Amino acid sequence: MKRYQPEEILIERGEENTPVVRRTLDHLPDTPVRIVEPGWEREAPPRDGTDSFAAGKRRLLFTRQRSTFLEHCPAGTSGLVCCNYLVVSLISNCPMDCSYCFLQEYLANNPLLKVFTNVEDLMSEVAKAVDRQPWRQFRIGTGELSDSLALDPLLGFSGDLVPFFAARKNVLLEFKTKSDRIEELLKHDPKDRVVVSWSLTPPAIADTEEHGTASFAERLHAAQRVQAAGYKVGFHFDPLIEYPHWEEGYRDTITQVFSAVDPRRVAWVSLGSLRMTPALRAIARRRFPQTRLLSGEQILCDDGKWRTFQALRVKMYRTITAWLKEAAPQAPQYMCMETTPVWEKVFGHAPSCDKDVARMLTQPNLVAS
Amino acid sequence: MWIVAEQIAAYAQLKRLSPQTVARWQAWAEPDRAALWELVQALQLGENHLRDFLDWCEEIALRDGSTVAAFLARPELRRPLTAQLGRNDKLKAVKDALRKLRYPRLSQLEEELRLAVKALDLGGRVQVSFPPSLEGEDVTVTITARNTKELDEHVTRVRQRLEDGAIQRLFALLDQV
Repeated sequence: MKRYQPEEILIERGEENTPVVRRTLDHLPDTPVRIVEPGWEREAPPRDGTDSFAAGKRRLLFTRQRSTFLEHCPAGTSGLVCCNYLVVSLISNCPMDCSYCFLQEYLANNPLLKVFTNVEDLMSEVAKAVDRQPWRQFRIGTGELSDSLALDPLLGFSGDLVPFFAARKNVLLEFKTKSDRIEELLKHDPKDRVVVSWSLTPPAIADTEEHGTASFAERLHAAQRVQAAGYKVGFHFDPLIEYPHWEEGYRDTITQVFSAVDPRRVAWVSLGSLRMTPALRAIARRRFPQTRLLSGEQILCDDGKWRTFQALRVKMYRTITAWLKEAAPQAPQYMCMETTPVWEKVFGHAPSCDKDVARMLTQPNLVAS
Repeated sequence: MWIVAEQIAAYAQLKRLSPQTVARWQAWAEPDRAALWELVQALQLGENHLRDFLDWCEEIALRDGSTVAAFLARPELRRPLTAQLGRNDKLKAVKDALRKLRYPRLSQLEEELRLAVKALDLGGRVQVSFPPSLEGEDVTVTITARNTKELDEHVTRVRQRLEDGAIQRLFALLDQV
């Protein structure tokens, strides 16, 4: 996987001496640095050029998070089964550039790669929230607005987060990634409280649609190494993409994954159909005219997102969950952003409430049947 | 070569097409542009229909590794243009044919369901309908009756189809691709 190299580093005044800034500057001594005033990005003129979103990824801004870090996962849309997942974002935007990525729409007007320097505020916020409900098991992920690990060699956030989460009994931290940047992780003991999960598509899709990510083989090798170091691993077949010969592609992918890692130490596996808003489709069409993702048999669903039509989607879910069950019988499976009827068709039952899914994922003995 | 581009520009002005839509169309290879121009002219497409045509044509061409001109020449797309039909019926026929190319499995499933409903033989006053694009579970059965006797006949026929398993098969079909 290619090393991230920003064209310019922007540091908000007052943040110059924060640990994450110092670590980054040590790693990028030759990159131009500029000190900017707080709130600068709101006044910054839009970048020239035809692809300001791609250009924004090469401008690294260090700033403070002035709002809260901890949020409910936005996938918990009304009418869809929710898994009660929480997210914290230390980074907003991603060095990778997948053709289906929702950030293309979500960050269209502010396409910088922002890093929040106040990690201590994040930890104190999380500590307050999870200590207030010691009976509840929390799952918190960092991969919502960026890849969790792609920038870790520069930023070193895992060195702050792993020891913090490893010391807590009622919360699991999930790093969600398409990278192979695990070196920093290997220096820490996760104490069974940290899951490193990989988003996977068959290599034919990864190679053409997931630009700037680690290859399938690199991701798998990284998963093997972190598992050997004591981390639990997870896998997300999300987005699940329907393409010619998808059966062979996914069958092969699943076989390779569970030959490489110990299926008994897999925390969870999720599936989620490719879903795109009309605006995101238009952006993807413009930025990646050769993408084949838009040529699948997708239709507009009630939540305003395009998905593969239901019968075909259910066929894919049933086929793939059966293979997963065979390859990793103990690994809990769940679906992201799907309706109760689709859950019933795929798993034979739907969770009675969102707490059911969360319970299944935090108590691995309760494996979905 | 410039004639089609100029004709498109003139048409865009006449129909007040958005510059983005026109630019997208004009960016196509000349034979593709001209093939769609023929359809647009014949069907007098406005902005929304034209955007659907552009989306579907680009998506089919990418999926099949074909050119727009090649598949727009297919007989099922050409036939309605010369049929004795009004503009709206022609548009519907061409759009249906293009949708079948764009959504082959969904269209096939819709056709199978249509045939399965027909085979139920419930009569003209019992309608069975499915959610748009088959997204969802709800099968709607509408019974129209002028009196209790007629209603009883329709309900009895529906009950018979339930008992002989035909309606069960219809529901099962919703999941089969």
